[in-house]
Amino acid sequence: MNAKKILLAEDDFDDQQFFYDFLHKREDVILLPMVENGEEVFEYLMSTANQAEMPDAIILDQNMPRQNGLQTLQLLKKNLQFAHIPIVLYSTYADESFFTRSAAHGATLVMAKPATPDGYHKMIDALIEAIQSHEPK
Amino acid sequence: METRSKTIEELNAELEELQHQLFEANETIDAIRTGQIDAIVVQDQYGPQLYSLRSADQAYRVFIEKMTEGALTLNKVGIILYCNSQFAHLVGKPLSNVIGIPFVDLVVTKHKKSFQDLFQRSWTKDSRQEIALKAGKDSIVVQLSAAQLEFDDGKTMSMIVTDLTAQKKTQELLEDTNLQLARMNHALEMSNHDLQQFASVASHDLQEPVRKILIFSNLIKERCNEDIPKECGQYIDKIVGSAARMKTLIIDVLNYSKLSANQKEFHSVDLGAVVEELLEDFELIIKEKNAMVTVGNLPTIEVNKGQIRQVFQNIFSNALKFSKEGIAPVIQIKAKRLKEKSFSSSQEANGPFCLISIKDNGIGFDEKYRNQIFALFERLHSKDSYEGTGIGLAITKKIIEKHNGLVHAKSHPGGGAEFLLLLPIEQQNE
Repeated sequence: MNAKKILLAEDDFDDQQFFYDFLHKREDVILLPMVENGEEVFEYLMSTANQAEMPDAIILDQNMPRQNGLQTLQLLKKNLQFAHIPIVLYSTYADESFFTRSAAHGATLVMAKPATPDGYHKMIDALIEAIQSHEPK
Repeated sequence: METRSKTIEELNAELEELQHQLFEANETIDAIRTGQIDAIVVQDQYGPQLYSLRSADQAYRVFIEKMTEGALTLNKVGIILYCNSQFAHLVGKPLSNVIGIPFVDLVVTKHKKSFQDLFQRSWTKDSRQEIALKAGKDSIVVQLSAAQLEFDDGKTMSMIVTDLTAQKKTQELLEDTNLQLARMNHALEMSNHDLQQFASVASHDLQEPVRKILIFSNLIKERCNEDIPKECGQYIDKIVGSAARMKTLIIDVLNYSKLSANQKEFHSVDLGAVVEELLEDFELIIKEKNAMVTVGNLPTIEVNKGQIRQVFQNIFSNALKFSKEGIAPVIQIKAKRLKEKSFSSSQEANGPFCLISIKDNGIGFDEKYRNQIFALFERLHSKDSYEGTGIGLAITKKIIEKHNGLVHAKSHPGGGAEFLLLLPIEQQNE
């Protein structure tokens, strides 16, 4: 099984750090260089000519400057080239409307930001499961 | 015998005469009533006597003079032939200065044209109109009701003049008050919105640092466990505990403030299914506490599902939380239909309201606190003995009120608690 390439869009430095600290040792994921907002997600995707560097999944923080998670999600799903990429939306403050709106716009996973290393691992486990269930067998 | 039969003849004649007189009297009364005559001459023993209808006429004159409206008659060209003193008083002139002048002279300039129209129109059809009259230096708004009158000596126009000044003032006052009310309402809405915005932003932004405190504290414990003295490990536990509590508090405050928003979306929801779902969520703690839960037949009613779920969740978690030590919690949920929106209402099979009872066998509370427990941040126990933010029942009450329902709690210390929810089966559409 190939390791899954994951792109994280997160503007909070601590959260970037947690993400890297807790997950970089996992062998089933490759952490792509992180970006800080939705615009940069598109810059990354557009400038990546090599299919091998395209993410298998993107994790979007909801609260980011310039282009928040939901906006980015909508743009990605409208784009034929990227619409297939599974998207995780997470937020410190995840209320019911955040869940329903994100799901309605096609997010694969919606969740509150993990507060423990274990929480981060569970998020990635669930993400990998979701990617595999989407993959053609 | 002879004399007696004669007497009968005489009596018959007399009777006939009396009947004739009665007939004449009736005719006369009819004539008077319908206005065909205005005087009658009666022949009596002193010769002919004239009975005029002066008395009736006078009553009308007095009535017109005393009434609070202005009354006048105009001739063909609009000259005032007669007016009562009330009209003279309205326009602030002596009576003698009003009679004989054209009415139009009393109308303010910009209304002269519409008065002339009314005057012309009224010869063929009774009309009414609001116009302004000059009254000294001021003007007054009046309602003119005009009708053509036809007498033997020709046609005149009669007009009733109603002073609308007081009415206008009341109307203006009302409009003013309404405007003020609308303005205040708007300000209130704005401030409500601001408050919610504030609660939302504050809670949202507060969650971030709390989460960081939790993560970093846990990291210290995990990564430096052997390097930190035992005592300091306990301090870190306290930090984690406090941060977790803060997080709950923030979420609860946020939920409470969100209820202020006017979300009145009601759908038909099976309460039985809601409770069943909830019991699954509570499965672990129910097992742990060895709790017994019995659920009766619950109705399907119009509610906001998420909110009503929260109500059951709050009451339910209280029932489990405030259980007696060493005694397995027993929780009973049941419902019945009521005739009226009152806890003392009689039962009715298909009544428009339902009463849901959630009863436990826990520690209960003194009934003197039965209202207090629904207040925000109100707690009956220290947070060390029972955790909680004191927001749960406040949220419960607010949700029930948003559903146009009532909530009530019954208990005594050591005797368990019973929460009663009274909800309408259908919500009125606004």
